[in-house]
Amino acid sequence: MPPPLATRRPLHARVLVLLAMRNLRRHVRRTVLTASAMIVGGTLLIFTFALGDGAHEQWIDSGVRLGEGHVTVERPEFRVSRRIEDRLPATVRRAAEAAFASPEVAPHVVATTAKLAVTGLASSAAGSRPARIVAVDPAAEAEFSPIDDQVIAGRYLAPDDRLAAYVGVELVDSLDLRLGSRFVVQAQDAEREIAGQLLRVVGIFQSGVPEVDQAFVHIPLDTAGEWLGSAGDVTNVGVVVDDSTAAAGVAAQVERALAGPVARGDARVMGWRDANPALAAAVAIDDFGNYLTQGFIFTIIAFGIVNTVLMSVLHRRREFGVLRALGLTPGQTGAIVLIEGLTLTAVSGFVGVGLGLAVTWHFFGGGFDFSALMGEMTFSGVVVEPVIQPLMRPARIAQVLLFILFIGAAASVYPALRAARLDVTEAMKFDR
Amino acid sequence: MRERPWPRIGWRNLARNRRRTVLTALGLAVGFFAVVFMIGWMRGIMAELVENATSLVSGQIEIHHAEYRPDRSLYDTLGGREGVDVEALLRTIDADEAVTAAAPRVYAGGLVSSGEATSAGLFMGIDPGREPALTRFLDELVAGRLPEPGRFEVLVGDEMARQLAVGVGDELVLVGSAADGSMANDLFTVAGVFRTGLVEFDARTAVLAVGDLQALIYLDPDRIHEIAVATADPAEADAAAARLAAAIEAEGREIDVASWTVLNPVLVDYVGLAESMYWVFIVIIFAVASFGVANTMLMATFERRREFAVMLALGATPRAIVGTVLSEALAIGLLSLAIGSAFTFPLMIWWAVAPPGLEWLFGSVTLQGALLEPSLRVGYDPAGWTWSGIGLLLTAFFAALYPAAKAARVPPADTLSGL
Repeated sequence: MPPPLATRRPLHARVLVLLAMRNLRRHVRRTVLTASAMIVGGTLLIFTFALGDGAHEQWIDSGVRLGEGHVTVERPEFRVSRRIEDRLPATVRRAAEAAFASPEVAPHVVATTAKLAVTGLASSAAGSRPARIVAVDPAAEAEFSPIDDQVIAGRYLAPDDRLAAYVGVELVDSLDLRLGSRFVVQAQDAEREIAGQLLRVVGIFQSGVPEVDQAFVHIPLDTAGEWLGSAGDVTNVGVVVDDSTAAAGVAAQVERALAGPVARGDARVMGWRDANPALAAAVAIDDFGNYLTQGFIFTIIAFGIVNTVLMSVLHRRREFGVLRALGLTPGQTGAIVLIEGLTLTAVSGFVGVGLGLAVTWHFFGGGFDFSALMGEMTFSGVVVEPVIQPLMRPARIAQVLLFILFIGAAASVYPALRAARLDVTEAMKFDR
Repeated sequence: MRERPWPRIGWRNLARNRRRTVLTALGLAVGFFAVVFMIGWMRGIMAELVENATSLVSGQIEIHHAEYRPDRSLYDTLGGREGVDVEALLRTIDADEAVTAAAPRVYAGGLVSSGEATSAGLFMGIDPGREPALTRFLDELVAGRLPEPGRFEVLVGDEMARQLAVGVGDELVLVGSAADGSMANDLFTVAGVFRTGLVEFDARTAVLAVGDLQALIYLDPDRIHEIAVATADPAEADAAAARLAAAIEAEGREIDVASWTVLNPVLVDYVGLAESMYWVFIVIIFAVASFGVANTMLMATFERRREFAVMLALGATPRAIVGTVLSEALAIGLLSLAIGSAFTFPLMIWWAVAPPGLEWLFGSVTLQGALLEPSLRVGYDPAGWTWSGIGLLLTAFFAALYPAAKAARVPPADTLSGL
């Protein structure tokens, strides 16, 4: 009596693995060459993603800090109208600030902002230009925005400033202003009348982003309240979080906390992707280019793996014939080949990932410097920093490993099918 | 020896294991496609950026008063306070062979009010007869038509129309600071709505007939701020700008003629950066592909150890063996090039002629203020294709060097007796 099937199976699985492993060792040079392609591919993959993700995080951070934050709360109409009537009701503002300070959200929050942004006209004796007037709490905004560090003359707003303005360098040039000059801003006030306000230039900044340097004027929130009759009201409350991937979760939390005002149409919670679609598109196009490149590289690698595993199958027709004659099922012979291909890709892929992490952080842990290749450039309204700080998220590593395993499995399927479909009698014929 | 048989032996070896040959060639062919496509796509993006930077709203060449940039003061009109004979100047410019269109412009800042709401605006005075030949943003309006001179009509961006809640036929009050220092205002009718896709521009810009804007801000008809000029090809702009500067200066005017490369130097840098990325890309792709070729050639030479031993025993030199293996590698290279070209070029032609959109993937972006709409548009680049082909053949060649050296060192006696 043969032993029941159930007790025989574990042995077979081990034998299958053993056969597959032995075969990788049989042609060490071939195995090493195929593995090298995978190792180079894995290293490149990690390196590219580390730089890509790092660069994107920098773009997003600088984009949201110039704007309204990773997550912002404002009235639904404000995004389109940019009018002061569509400012946040005081109760909603308090509720939003409470939501950002709640224990679930607070640990992610790096900086908060509450500001009143309207479009208006800035005029001097030299002419008039449209301006984006942002009224801020000077101390809080200095924490939130990088703009206070981009000063090229004078200083940023101070808490007890009145009638002070911090102006973009191109707007200063086009209005022919200098430090201490006076100019007038006009905008629609809370009563829908045109109201003018005299301001004095206390500081001039240069962000490098043309859209910002041509139009932005920061003024104290108190000044704006008196000028526009809006008291201490703001048009948005926003936060910068520790990692842009946390923004969606924070937005969902805040939206739950503000369920009432959102349902009444008094508030809308937006993540940075909705608030800044051009920035989201810039990240997406760059990612798309990276994915495409990696797709090409791994297609080439996959052909190499198919080739190696297929050759090893074709060279072992007799061996597979013998195994089948000894009682292995087609599925089991196919499994040997799959195990061989998967082991080859998994081991070499993991080595590649490890090498990629080591190389990236050993050589470029302090930042990868592109400044020799390019000067300052702006992409969808953010300055692209020439020094990129690499970034690797656990989710990205998991994604890369899964991708490598998928490539290995996909590349082994055809050779495995060939092995499974082997004609035993043909394979056992002598001399082939 | 009359004829060297090595290349033919190498070529015939491709047929020895067709599946292996095809798989290897496919790997290289994908590499070739990858390089050609990525270079082409970069070209396409660059071409679109430059086109949008130079023909959407701006011209490829802008002519101003020498003091106009960067302040863009209302008073720095061409020819100073006296102004210029605009028609004569346009005739001089139109006479240049590279120039396809030229149009005068006047700029001013002010407020636009619909009664309900008020927004700050940049007023752009254009010649409705000349402007459409120069720029694209007025070609397809969202609604309405171009403003007719003398009827106090205005064209607004779709974002501004939305913010002010106005449509075609509605009235707007335009308020601006006039050239005499007073506040000027007048009633205008919305003739149409345009859309560039540049949100800031669409939110701020109001387009008027140049004469109407001059009337609004008390500027004489001879005083304009800019003449925007288009050339057939952005690459001609620098040379054309130099010729125009010479032609205009010959008439004794203080004028600044700047091409887009001067107006937007960062874009030029970016195009240069993209060019240097091509090389990085070619090297990476073919480096990865070379492993596949090396592997195949190693297998192929290993199988033929006996054959090489026989050849050596019959008097072939090791160099001849190397020659056979390298010819086989080159043959694989040529085959890959043929396969690669067979699917690469039809796709390239398709994507150059009718590029599929990528709006489903990402929205529009701006690069250094220039609009880029997502598509798979590719540019033709014969030099890039040539380099990719050469890269492919070199890859096949260099990847086969080690297998070739191995094959040449097969010990004939041991190999023949050992098997």
